[in-house]
Amino acid sequence: MTKPGPAFLWFRAVAFAALALLILLPLAQTILLSFIATLPHDGVPLGEIGLVNYRNIFATPALVASIWNALIYVLLNVALCLAAGLPAAYAFARFRFTGDRHFLFLMLAFRVTPPVVLSLPIFILFAQVNLVNSPVGIALVHCLFNLPIAIWILERFISAIPRAFDETAFIDGHTLPSFFFRHLIPAIAPGIGVAAFFCFIFSWVEVVFARILTVTGGKPMTMAINALFTFQTDIGLVMAMTVFSLLPGLAMIWFVRNHISRGFEIRT
Amino acid sequence: MRLHDNRAWFLVLPAAAVMVFVGLLPLVTVLNFSFHDIFSLDQVYWVGMDWYAEIITSSRFHASLLRSLAFSAIVLSVQIPLGIGVALLLVRSGRMGLVMLLLVAVPLVVPWNMIPVMWLNLVNPRTGLAGLAMVWLGIGFDYKFTALHTWILLVVMDTWHWLGLVVILSYAAFSGIPQPYYQAAAIDGASRLAVFRHIELPRVTGALSIVLLLRFVDSFMIYTEAFAINAGGPSGKTTFLSLDLGEEIKGFSYGTAAALSMVYFLIVLTVVWAFVTLTENRKRHQERAIE
Repeated sequence: MTKPGPAFLWFRAVAFAALALLILLPLAQTILLSFIATLPHDGVPLGEIGLVNYRNIFATPALVASIWNALIYVLLNVALCLAAGLPAAYAFARFRFTGDRHFLFLMLAFRVTPPVVLSLPIFILFAQVNLVNSPVGIALVHCLFNLPIAIWILERFISAIPRAFDETAFIDGHTLPSFFFRHLIPAIAPGIGVAAFFCFIFSWVEVVFARILTVTGGKPMTMAINALFTFQTDIGLVMAMTVFSLLPGLAMIWFVRNHISRGFEIRT
Repeated sequence: MRLHDNRAWFLVLPAAAVMVFVGLLPLVTVLNFSFHDIFSLDQVYWVGMDWYAEIITSSRFHASLLRSLAFSAIVLSVQIPLGIGVALLLVRSGRMGLVMLLLVAVPLVVPWNMIPVMWLNLVNPRTGLAGLAMVWLGIGFDYKFTALHTWILLVVMDTWHWLGLVVILSYAAFSGIPQPYYQAAAIDGASRLAVFRHIELPRVTGALSIVLLLRFVDSFMIYTEAFAINAGGPSGKTTFLSLDLGEEIKGFSYGTAAALSMVYFLIVLTVVWAFVTLTENRKRHQERAIE
């Protein structure tokens, strides 16, 4: 390629600055407010800059519990997606079978169906089998969009391994389960990591199902933040919680930085 | 080459069971509800296609549909060209480009109900950075009561949220283009436009079709963010399809809500079907080109 001229370099610098400004402005606002006392507290005057909001998070049992609630169902969802997704991904990578394309089509349809469309029947169904207010319910329902993602990501990683790898293991006398645990899982460990991270994050940011399935208890972090909006909202506390809710996502971006486009791939 | 073996279904069984429970079963329930008038879950009366007839002919539905279509059209025509442009800049910028790529990914991992909270604080005229700046510049920004301003806020917020998706997928596609392609084009003396038209664009059509599908469905059915900004107001000017549905559910009109859900699901299904058909046609076309 030819070397870029000075005009291009200037244009690029301005474009990057504008883009960074757009992305960072709401984040800066959030972080700024999270360090300001927006309501008077004991011994802390209004407008003082400090850690009062963060201290208040840990002084409020409901907020601390909500962080745990969120972590529990998100991790449960990741475990479910990997456990059910890995064998399915292996099947799609290695075999063709009657109805495979229809199954993929259905997964794609459910992956892009907006949660609000299925929220009513899921609530009624889950209420009948006692899965409302339980982390298991949310973990299950988040499989609706995370299981397809896990299967697509894992399938790509398994397809990259030559079939001879499986056949050697089977000749060595491995059964399918022992092949999975001894050979396949170690060989696609990076893929499992990538799939786990994306399931984690998509479950973490989802709020429609998380709201309707936590009527009275087990409220996750995002809903605990919503509950903070009252007649006199402590917006600083809201922002401190928001900063907390951003942390797992930021860590995730760093861990999957080389695979970041994978979370949005689609297989037909 | 993949072998044909129907025993593979045993491996798919756990995943299929989960999908049936959280996807297919609720879908059948919603289909069943949509043919009934439901006072309570014990008092259910068959009404056939009445709800559908009512929805299809109601001016409320037409208005929401038009608003959702307009929102999607605006969102796509802003985000797709902007995202491609940013991605083209980023691929040529080495390490700096990678840093910017991670930066545009940040909004994608923000919990959805936090995004409107962040933006409402940003444009708050007393405490927000953007709000104060607009007051200082003498711009009267009133998202609560001026429909145009609500729309602007929604489009800007949605662009902030999703631009990263367009950039990331386009970036991945562009960085997969081998250098010799560019060298050959340079030898031929191809213009920048010709390089884009004949080398870059064909390579990203696959990635772009995915972006189009994801962005269309998500913007067409926008709910959490739009509701939190102005609850469909001012006077219904930002009531999109999903907000209508949310209201029916909150009003316990299960029959109408179910029929609306089915109509939306059919729209999504049609879009997905079109996407799959187009993708397969393109694949077949490429395979024939290689032969």
